[in-house]
Amino acid sequence: MMAAQDFNFLLATDSYKITHYKQYPPNVSKVYSYFECRRKKGAQFNEVVFFGLQYLLKKYLAGPVVTEEKIQQAKVFYQMHFKQAVFDEEGWRKVLEKYDGRLPIRIKAVPEGKIIPRGNVLFTVENTDPDFFWLTNYIETMLVQMWYPITVATISREFKKILAKHLKATTGSLEGLDIKLHDFGYRGVSSQESAALGGAAHLVNFCSTDTVAGLLMAQQYYGCPMAGFSIPAAEHSTIISWGKSREKDAFECLLDQFPSGPVAVVSDSYDIFKACKHIWGDKLKERVMERSEDSALIIRPDSGDPAQTLLEVLKILEECFGSSLNSVGYKVLPSYLRIIQGDGIDLNSINEILEKLRDEGWSAENVFFGCGSALLQKINRDTLNCAFKCSYVEANGRGMDVCKQPVTDPSKGSKRGRLSLRRNSDGFIETVERGAGKPEEDMLVTVFENGTILQEYTLDEIRKAAQLWEEDVSPSQHNKEDSTTLEIHQKCIMNGVH
Amino acid sequence: MNGLFQKGEGLQTLVGPPLLLLHKDSCPLGKLEGKKLHEICSSSVTHYKQYPPNTSKVYSYFECREKKTEPTKLRKVKYDKTVFYGLQYILHRYLKGQVVTREKIQEAKEVYREHFQDDVFNEKGWNYILEKYNGHLPIEIKAVPEGSVIPRGNVLFTVVSTDPECYWLTNWVETILVQIWYPITVATNSREQKKILAKYLMETSGSLEGLEYKLHDFGYRGVSSQETAGIGASAHLVNFKGTDTVAGICVIKKYYGTKDPVPGFSVPAAEHSTITAWGKDHEKDAFEHIIKQFPSVPVSIVSDSYDIYNACEKIWGEDLRGLIEMRSADAPLVVRPDSGNPLDTVLKVLEILGKKFPLVENSKGYKVLPPYIRVIQGDGVDINTLQEIVEGMKEHRWSIENIAFGSGGALLQKLTRDLLNCSFKCSYVVTNGLGVNVFKDPVADPNKRSKKGRLSLHRTPSGDFVTLEEGKGDLEEYGEDLLHTVFRNGKIVKTYTFDEVRDNAKLKESELEDLLL
Repeated sequence: MMAAQDFNFLLATDSYKITHYKQYPPNVSKVYSYFECRRKKGAQFNEVVFFGLQYLLKKYLAGPVVTEEKIQQAKVFYQMHFKQAVFDEEGWRKVLEKYDGRLPIRIKAVPEGKIIPRGNVLFTVENTDPDFFWLTNYIETMLVQMWYPITVATISREFKKILAKHLKATTGSLEGLDIKLHDFGYRGVSSQESAALGGAAHLVNFCSTDTVAGLLMAQQYYGCPMAGFSIPAAEHSTIISWGKSREKDAFECLLDQFPSGPVAVVSDSYDIFKACKHIWGDKLKERVMERSEDSALIIRPDSGDPAQTLLEVLKILEECFGSSLNSVGYKVLPSYLRIIQGDGIDLNSINEILEKLRDEGWSAENVFFGCGSALLQKINRDTLNCAFKCSYVEANGRGMDVCKQPVTDPSKGSKRGRLSLRRNSDGFIETVERGAGKPEEDMLVTVFENGTILQEYTLDEIRKAAQLWEEDVSPSQHNKEDSTTLEIHQKCIMNGVH
Repeated sequence: MNGLFQKGEGLQTLVGPPLLLLHKDSCPLGKLEGKKLHEICSSSVTHYKQYPPNTSKVYSYFECREKKTEPTKLRKVKYDKTVFYGLQYILHRYLKGQVVTREKIQEAKEVYREHFQDDVFNEKGWNYILEKYNGHLPIEIKAVPEGSVIPRGNVLFTVVSTDPECYWLTNWVETILVQIWYPITVATNSREQKKILAKYLMETSGSLEGLEYKLHDFGYRGVSSQETAGIGASAHLVNFKGTDTVAGICVIKKYYGTKDPVPGFSVPAAEHSTITAWGKDHEKDAFEHIIKQFPSVPVSIVSDSYDIYNACEKIWGEDLRGLIEMRSADAPLVVRPDSGNPLDTVLKVLEILGKKFPLVENSKGYKVLPPYIRVIQGDGVDINTLQEIVEGMKEHRWSIENIAFGSGGALLQKLTRDLLNCSFKCSYVVTNGLGVNVFKDPVADPNKRSKKGRLSLHRTPSGDFVTLEEGKGDLEEYGEDLLHTVFRNGKIVKTYTFDEVRDNAKLKESELEDLLL
């Protein structure tokens, strides 16, 4: 697999890194760094899903990434950007001459999809040739963007835990869990590339999405021909274009156009409650009842307080269509009728909604959820405290464990020496520092070396590795150390402006 | 409910390279690849069947909605106006020229067949576009000039289908166009921070010199992708000139162009690895080595690897003081703290440096370090902490000349579409030859009400902006429409250089006056 031809790798780093080759101690021959999601006191999430490295390797790092043309382009660029010549032209030319433009770097990583507790090494990076000690941290900027697919996959899985819990409790099974949370985030992310990456990360845990880019990412980089599914659905323009007095005609058109298979109809353009009561529940009631379980009408509210709106809508639909009790005693609407709540959903609100539904005797099988920005955009590198730090160097033939330990913030301290990851005798995953780890116990796998990808994972394998555990699903709390209740879970996903 | 989605067994592997070719050219310096058909969300695929029969035109618009009723938490920053930026990138990269081919249509048909487990894709509609327009999009987009600063709640651009057969195309492109929320939001948030810096810089030094370098982009590693980095960094450069996110410069050069060779600059700087690699007992050697490597340009040195206060007091303030004092005003040492409470750390660092180096009082009565030493705070900086730090410095009689800021996640990532309520809505359709003004008005949320009919943007006699609805802008009395056609039937018909964008977005005299009141 070859990385993108037109992408100039030499320009894909923080400017200041251009100047670092001059700053390391003399005679440095190796720089070894690692990536982790640091542990933080009072943090909401204890464990992370490792996902997304394969995309970066295939797209940007594999094969010959340096050409003479790119070196020249970078040289000219940095001359203007720094208003002086600081760019290490010779260093990059050596990569070209010695390795045909392939990166003399080794990356060892946890297998993709694995669930790892915070505070553990997830991957390590080192140069394989003493001439290129400066390369390890040159690629930090790109590799630290791993924070994104890791965080989306992790948050998505946290959603899954909540949904599983409620589904199990109110239906007795987990049937349909993987289509309970639909990705609505395409328009609310910052770019097409982020949509693809975030969309794919969600598909590690679920298989319903409207973010088409994610499907293609999963197909091209993770070997899955079709990772997710969707259904015909309305949007406001296809309802309001009929005019305010013809909402019923608009709704009916939807039913006519999509007679077999489920169809979702946004119903709050003017008044969600009247739409449910007078149009769905009255004027079109028979048309709705004609539909089968496989071609359900899925009503979509899209404004107002999510929990309150849902309960009110359920109440109205129950009045019009009736309900029955499932095997564990919770109410279910008739099988041709369901609801999807796709507005205002985040980890906090989804739990709140499901709890309120449960309190009112409603099964979680009545409702599907759509999530946009909370899934794909409302996260940042601080959500899981993702960081990349140098932990070991070799100079003058001697190795030295290094770290930072700022007195002003102990949580920013980094690990020392060469690292490995193992499962200890109690079964818990831990990081071994200072090169003391035994190779045969090391869970880190060499995935990339000198321009070649040595290990790949399919989405199927990743999905299997990322499955929920029994304790995630049963109503009792985790029995891991420093477990947190769901209230603390969602203090605030975002710091900063919001 | 297990019949809701059927997962077919033995799905065929797609033949040939996938339509979504975004993977090939993330760096904007590379070639463009069209990839229209997959840049939409799945449900849009089915919308062509849902409009009223005999619909021949769909007209939609984009705005940053006003939020009249604010929930319980009080926003500290109001964001009354937004910077319009980023449309040109989208037009060039994704919408112009031939965006469909026979192969792409075929491929999309197959993908959607599997994705929906049904044939819902509008193959006929796309073949029509291929045949009649050689794959160019029959839509027209009118927009406010890029860089314009416009109050919330006004139309910023409109989209309309130009061929009656392609009425469905208007909202097909919604998903890709709504992503403009991001460059708009970065540029707007960046500009609001510029206002804060301008105010305090003026108050504590009497001039705005160096304002454009006071907020440096540190966000490359903290964004969600390479493409986001390019777009976001370019949006910050609308207001400032200091950046480490190289990708932004590539976007500007490729999609906007500037008269200068580059629109953004940086300086040599250390990172923790280049300090810690020397070993814990050799921090001074690391510092000394690095400042000697860069004698005649500014150099920033992160100083908190072990103990920021000790580094300032003993290493910079004593051991290496002689070397620092030799540096010129054009080549200061810039001390970089990187942990601890931002305001407390900055004040303490200034205090320590102020004791070791001779302070001067400027014309406004504020303290300034000698020109060969400065500070950059690049940790935990967002619009709120920025305000706190400059306010705190002012209270302690420190001039803002002493400091620059770096911002990463808060500048480029900690933003969502909800911050400025960016929204794309249909406002007008033609059905059976009759134009109808349409809108949504959900009973539970008046903030979500959308505008009606054909829209235009005008200036009132008093200089304010107003959006006219229901085609009222056609009447002469309101003067010219500020929305210009930028795209028609596959061609970009109006472009802006980055210099024009910067000019439109610069801080106005009146704004500066208001800030200093």
